Amino acid sequence: MRREEASAAAAEAGTPRSPDLHDLSDDSDYAAAAAASSSHSAMRSDLVDQGSGETAKVDVVYEKERVTIHPTQYGSGRISGKLRLYLQQGSLFLSWEPNEGVDSLSSNSATMEIEKYRNLYTIKALPLSDVRFIRKHTPTFGFEYIIIVLSSGLAFPPFYFYNGGLRELFATLKKHVFIIRSDDDPNVFLVNDFQDPLQKSLSSLELPGVATVANAMSRQNSLSFTSSVDEAGHGSDAKHGASSSMTEYVSKQKHRSNDPGRDLSIQVLEKFSLVTKFARDTTSSLFRENHSSGGHTYGRQQQEYVLDNRANDKYKDQQITPDKDSLLSDSMESNKILAWGKPREQPLSVDEWRSFLDPEGRVMDSKALRKKVFYGGIDHVLRKEVWKFLLGYHEYDSTYAEREYLAVMKRTEYEAIKSQWKSISSTQAKRFTKFRERKGLIDKDVVRTDRSVPYYEGDDNQNVLVLRDILLTYSFYNFDLGYCQGMSDFLAPILYVMEDESESFWCFAILMERLGANFNRDQNGMHAQLLALSKLVELLDPQLHNYFRKNDCLNYFFCFRWVLIQFKREFSFDQIMLLWEVLWTHYWSEHFHLYLCVAILKRYRSRIIGEQMDFDTLLKFINELSGEINLDRAIQTRRHYVISQPLTGLPAFLLEPRLLCPSRRTVASTYKKTRSCEIPAI
Amino acid sequence: MASRRRMLLKVIILGDSGVGKTSLMNQYVNKKFSNQYKATIGADFLTKEVQIDDRLFTLQIWDTAGQERFQSLGVAFYRGADCCVLVYDVNVTKSFERLNSWREEFLIQASPSDPENFPFVVLGNKIDVDGGNSRTVSEKKAKAWCASKGNIPYFETSAKEGFNVEAAFECIARNAIKNEPEEEIYLPDTIDVGGAGRQQRSSGCEC
Repeated sequence: MRREEASAAAAEAGTPRSPDLHDLSDDSDYAAAAAASSSHSAMRSDLVDQGSGETAKVDVVYEKERVTIHPTQYGSGRISGKLRLYLQQGSLFLSWEPNEGVDSLSSNSATMEIEKYRNLYTIKALPLSDVRFIRKHTPTFGFEYIIIVLSSGLAFPPFYFYNGGLRELFATLKKHVFIIRSDDDPNVFLVNDFQDPLQKSLSSLELPGVATVANAMSRQNSLSFTSSVDEAGHGSDAKHGASSSMTEYVSKQKHRSNDPGRDLSIQVLEKFSLVTKFARDTTSSLFRENHSSGGHTYGRQQQEYVLDNRANDKYKDQQITPDKDSLLSDSMESNKILAWGKPREQPLSVDEWRSFLDPEGRVMDSKALRKKVFYGGIDHVLRKEVWKFLLGYHEYDSTYAEREYLAVMKRTEYEAIKSQWKSISSTQAKRFTKFRERKGLIDKDVVRTDRSVPYYEGDDNQNVLVLRDILLTYSFYNFDLGYCQGMSDFLAPILYVMEDESESFWCFAILMERLGANFNRDQNGMHAQLLALSKLVELLDPQLHNYFRKNDCLNYFFCFRWVLIQFKREFSFDQIMLLWEVLWTHYWSEHFHLYLCVAILKRYRSRIIGEQMDFDTLLKFINELSGEINLDRAIQTRRHYVISQPLTGLPAFLLEPRLLCPSRRTVASTYKKTRSCEIPAI
Repeated sequence: MASRRRMLLKVIILGDSGVGKTSLMNQYVNKKFSNQYKATIGADFLTKEVQIDDRLFTLQIWDTAGQERFQSLGVAFYRGADCCVLVYDVNVTKSFERLNSWREEFLIQASPSDPENFPFVVLGNKIDVDGGNSRTVSEKKAKAWCASKGNIPYFETSAKEGFNVEAAFECIARNAIKNEPEEEIYLPDTIDVGGAGRQQRSSGCEC
């Protein structure tokens, strides 16, 4: 019985994937998954060839019941199954078969969902040679679980061992395959050859967030994280505990993050995968206008995540049990849902903002506020107020009175700094080359900064002069850093929002505390960030990384503009305010912009690789993602994507024609329509 | 293969911020001028098909950020250059004075095989401004400097008016062609072109 099952599984796994499935998408994640999948199949078919000639002998060496997955975070669906290790033709295989019926009390509709998952998650014959590592999680409370990550980067959802048996599992594995504990993390068991070229370079980056994340990741070495580890992360984060209600989920989250004993690397790993997830999902919905009148709650978002996740699982399913027909129809179905996208939440509204404040004006839950902004942005009328918190000019626990006082003090201080250069007479300036040069450079740049935005439009525009004054004052405030091109790009939206010289100055100055390294004379900050970016791509998309390496593109200078001014030139004025406030929340990572870079690159990877772009072509291509858009073409392209892209990386917002209709809520109403078309064209 | 390589001529435009590098490039390639160019961040390039003495070339013109502190990016952008265009603003003395350091920086970063003979072209831009009344660098002074650096061809241009831009870039292209000695050895039919290139040095460019 077991023998038959296993050989049938092996035969099935060897079945070539339908070309139709390929045609569903040219999405990068999909492509990566597909590529991984096809190599997988090829590998498998070798085995089948060997096995099909004679009757393959199957020897079960490990079997455990009640090994359970938690495919949704609602807790209504936990699927128990049987995990097995078996030997066939001298190779070790892993299988997981769900039990019949659903393991928990659940409604009918939930049962149907679960039925789908049952098929999706079934593993019929996974050769251990395809496994990169197994991560063991032994929480202080709750069930032990493992996450299996494949060489291709795909990962399975966590398997929870309700009846124990982890120790035996690893003992059995040790007998039959080469498995070593990672030097860096005792919970990671590397199944295949392993070396770690990344770690040193990553830890030397001195980019705290990225470096830690990358360090944690580097022990898994060049994973294509794409769809899968999202699950690992979500699996351990969201699915763990599988609370039946969102509140429970949230409280669990809180508890977990407060648990000092919690394995830091798990946290980092999870965070990393979540961030990757959000680089994909959030950005895809970031610039969408939410047309539905009903509020989109966190629950909705979660639900969408589930859909998304399910679609990811489809690839996995194709890889493991290519059941063509059901997959096709299923993919098409989720296509529709997914392609129409995940609307971002409503921006933070005036009422909501008030609810965040205590009677004296303190922000009571800054994390919740940042979360809200991260998911929905800010209603434009509130930006003036809320940006000051996000940027760090105002402390979250400051009161109305304290802030008023601060504003007065800071205004005086600003005027004092400004008077330093204001008082320089023309004869003095003649003998002050440094000053003249700086002033000259700033004068040249302010008149070419966002001049198409009405606020800065036209001859003798006073706001342009204010930009000039602030930048010049800043170059005295921080004389060593001085003025650097790109600073005016940062300041223009800030002044537009603040409409106040002193406040803008201080917000800008604080932003420069964060980003000043970008503008260092030796370009240190930029080089470090581009290096970090290259490491991220190496981790998240090894194939693309290899392509860049072969084509001498590893300096990532083609992303220079993205990183230096955080996408300012890539999006319209409206969009950039939204993007920046999301970045400034530092909600998932203070290096979210780097993940965004990765997401965009991944989005276009098939074109980059397919068209064999060299450095020059790539730079040109990237530069041209910004700028003039061909409206008709964009809409057409978008339609194409709507039909053909199940798991879009960024095209949803890159090609979203609704963007071209100025939104009621934002500055767009005062903003020239022709210029608001500045979204990247494909 | 050799002939395909021959087709692409890479030209780098350098000079202080705001001297009109982007405008010159756009005027030449797109015949357009705009007041609204933004400060270049990083680098970008435009390409243009040019015909020089019956042969077609693709001129790839690189526009770079003008601020000094971005110079370390040059390594990536300058390599493989066939000609370097140094631009200054005739109304800003400082931008002229900086030509030498731009030239030296280029030679360091691009490290061409024969730095002594690497082709440069100098453009004095913005001659239209204020009817020439705000001019602070004379043509004579500029030409003297060019002569001292191995007879660098010199043009006075107005990207805004489109004045002399075409002529300048033709000279730039011809100089770029000269800088492709390797292929001249490989391809018999380049003897003519090489000859034409040499010929233009005395006639085509005003130097």
